[in-house]
Amino acid sequence: MGTTQTVRRKGHFWATDSKYAYLFLLPATVFLLVFMIYPILNVIIMSVYHTDKLGRFMHFNGFKNFADLFQKEDFLEVMLRSVYWTGLAVAVKTIFGLVLALLLNVEYKGRKILRALIIIPWASAVPISALLWRWVYHHEFGLLNHTLKSIGLSDPPVWLGTPISAFFSVIWVDIWIGIPFMTLVFLAGMQAIPQDLYEAAEVDGAGALQKFLYITLPGIRDVLLIATLLSTLWTFNDFNTIYIMTKGGPAGGTQILITYIYQNTFEWWKWNNGAVMAVITFIILSIIAWIYARFYFRKGE
Amino acid sequence: MKRKATITLIALVLGALIIGVPLFMYAGGGEKKATVTFFWALYDGLTEEFRAELQDAFNAAHEDIEVDIVPVDWNLMHDKITTAIAGGKPPELSVVGTRWLLEFMDVDGIVEVSQYVSKATLDNIAPGAMEAKIGGKLMGLPVAAGARILAYNADVTSVVPKTMEELRGAAIRAHDPPNMYGLIMPGQKFTELTDFAYHIYAAGGDFFEMKPDGTYGKSAFNGPEGVKALEFMVQMAAEDEIVQDGYLSLDRMSSHPIFYKGKGAYTFIGAWVESAYNQAGGTFELKYAQIPPFEGDDGTTLIITDSIAMFKDAENLEAAGVFLDFFYQDEWKAVFDESIGFPPVTMSAARLPQFQTPLYKVLGEAAMRSKGWPLMAEFAEVTDIIWDANVEAFLGEKTPQQALDDAAAEIDRLRGM
Repeated sequence: MGTTQTVRRKGHFWATDSKYAYLFLLPATVFLLVFMIYPILNVIIMSVYHTDKLGRFMHFNGFKNFADLFQKEDFLEVMLRSVYWTGLAVAVKTIFGLVLALLLNVEYKGRKILRALIIIPWASAVPISALLWRWVYHHEFGLLNHTLKSIGLSDPPVWLGTPISAFFSVIWVDIWIGIPFMTLVFLAGMQAIPQDLYEAAEVDGAGALQKFLYITLPGIRDVLLIATLLSTLWTFNDFNTIYIMTKGGPAGGTQILITYIYQNTFEWWKWNNGAVMAVITFIILSIIAWIYARFYFRKGE
Repeated sequence: MKRKATITLIALVLGALIIGVPLFMYAGGGEKKATVTFFWALYDGLTEEFRAELQDAFNAAHEDIEVDIVPVDWNLMHDKITTAIAGGKPPELSVVGTRWLLEFMDVDGIVEVSQYVSKATLDNIAPGAMEAKIGGKLMGLPVAAGARILAYNADVTSVVPKTMEELRGAAIRAHDPPNMYGLIMPGQKFTELTDFAYHIYAAGGDFFEMKPDGTYGKSAFNGPEGVKALEFMVQMAAEDEIVQDGYLSLDRMSSHPIFYKGKGAYTFIGAWVESAYNQAGGTFELKYAQIPPFEGDDGTTLIITDSIAMFKDAENLEAAGVFLDFFYQDEWKAVFDESIGFPPVTMSAARLPQFQTPLYKVLGEAAMRSKGWPLMAEFAEVTDIIWDANVEAFLGEKTPQQALDDAAAEIDRLRGM
């Protein structure tokens, strides 16, 4: 009886279009397994092994690698800086993105041109933008200090020369690159809100702030969640901007986890340190994504 | 039925493309030529035209070999090679800092070049340039070797300092910001620790103690000579303020153009200075001198040698040897040397008239009283730690003594001392 049922189910499956779905999914699944799942597993295993300079597993170390790393003062500083870097950058990108989206959502002449212009930082390759900004900040030949000098500021700041100024200079570049994405996503969300709601609110005497708080914000709640989640993941892992502009300096002032992983792994060949930090990054970002998902799907329930 | 057949066909074609194309590319697509990949360092003064001409000329002369000369920024070279070795796909050849060879030997990543390069090529190289001969084995073919010197703008200063203290005095007199800076000195970390090395060597110091068996012992750069060197650098940069504005944000590649532009009186620099100055369209009178020792000290200067290494896991080492024999002919190597400004490492090129100029005379004298980097496998990390200590001292976060002591303790710990 059981055998007959198995044959029937198998026959049923092969008689439907489901097999095409699996067939089409197969290449992507293979790719995911080879290029995502395998590297992730490899890094997790590497994090509990002692490795040689080529990243080959030498002997099992258990959680000693983690314990050693957490005893390093540098690492804890880098962790804190990464959190601060991400929190600040995402918050500013969100605020700027909201304001710009509101401005672009209003009807006026030239709006389409502005919409096209705003995408430029996002459309440019990040390394190109970082190189461009490095020269903008150049103390001697840079556009920024040239402008400041021309308006009478004789001693402009050394933007990338001290840990604090370098941190804020580099984070601004990350923000500048990320604002267009936030703006466009928020704008798309705003345009999906029915106009009737605003008209009804106006009839009820609602002001601009009330309309924003009670119609716009709830209306874009979902895109706000998704956009800030994506921005958090990207910002936490923004290697290009920092590496190209300061390489984590001066004196480690712009070092965040992702650049520290690179330095440990590829400059100093400390693969297990890099793997431990990569696992920690993975855990942190997974927790953030899980919290976001809880919020996002709660509405659906 | 026809629809199903079409869908199946599309799925199969897509699958074959996704899996087959990378396999085909990996297999070389039926390519029969031996491909030689060469990571080519972008030295100041070297042009893209020369790289392309060399590549085209070799490929035209060798039907069975195809060389691919890949230009790589110096600051990225170490990381690029490292990732290539770790990924199991190293190039056949790469320009490397000779000091990196120890790391590559440590991971069994390189082979003796003398196995693949002809005797005629090897015999034409000056014995003094063979720094890459380690334990009797030639692990890298010298490609550039040059001691570091002092360059100065003769339009604003005629003082050829005999001591570091004299240099400071002359730089103070010439300093007239923002039009003229007394000294151009990079303060942002880059791949080499040159400026601290110039000063500690000028003070007669060294980075590490030398054990009787020739290996390196504990850190010595935090000794009196190292502290004197860093205090002097901090004094010029932070107290006298005779270094260019914003020096902490400028690495070597972004600070030296200020000198070429005629806005610096003095700078410590390498053999590429003349070609880079010409390329930048410099208009002042450029002169050279030795990096002076500190008063009363028996100082030396830094010599840096770069080599071409051959990587063990690369596929076409025989063909790579053929390319090196081609490249080391005067027709190419002498032009290369002249472009980057380094004294030739080949004896035949050294006799050519273009290498009998005042610059090469100064470089030759500097080489007589110079020494190289410590050859140790951990030097990349050591460099980073000392660089950070330098910056902490410049920023006033620590005194030079504290900064160097902390760095020495960290380095000794990581080296298991």
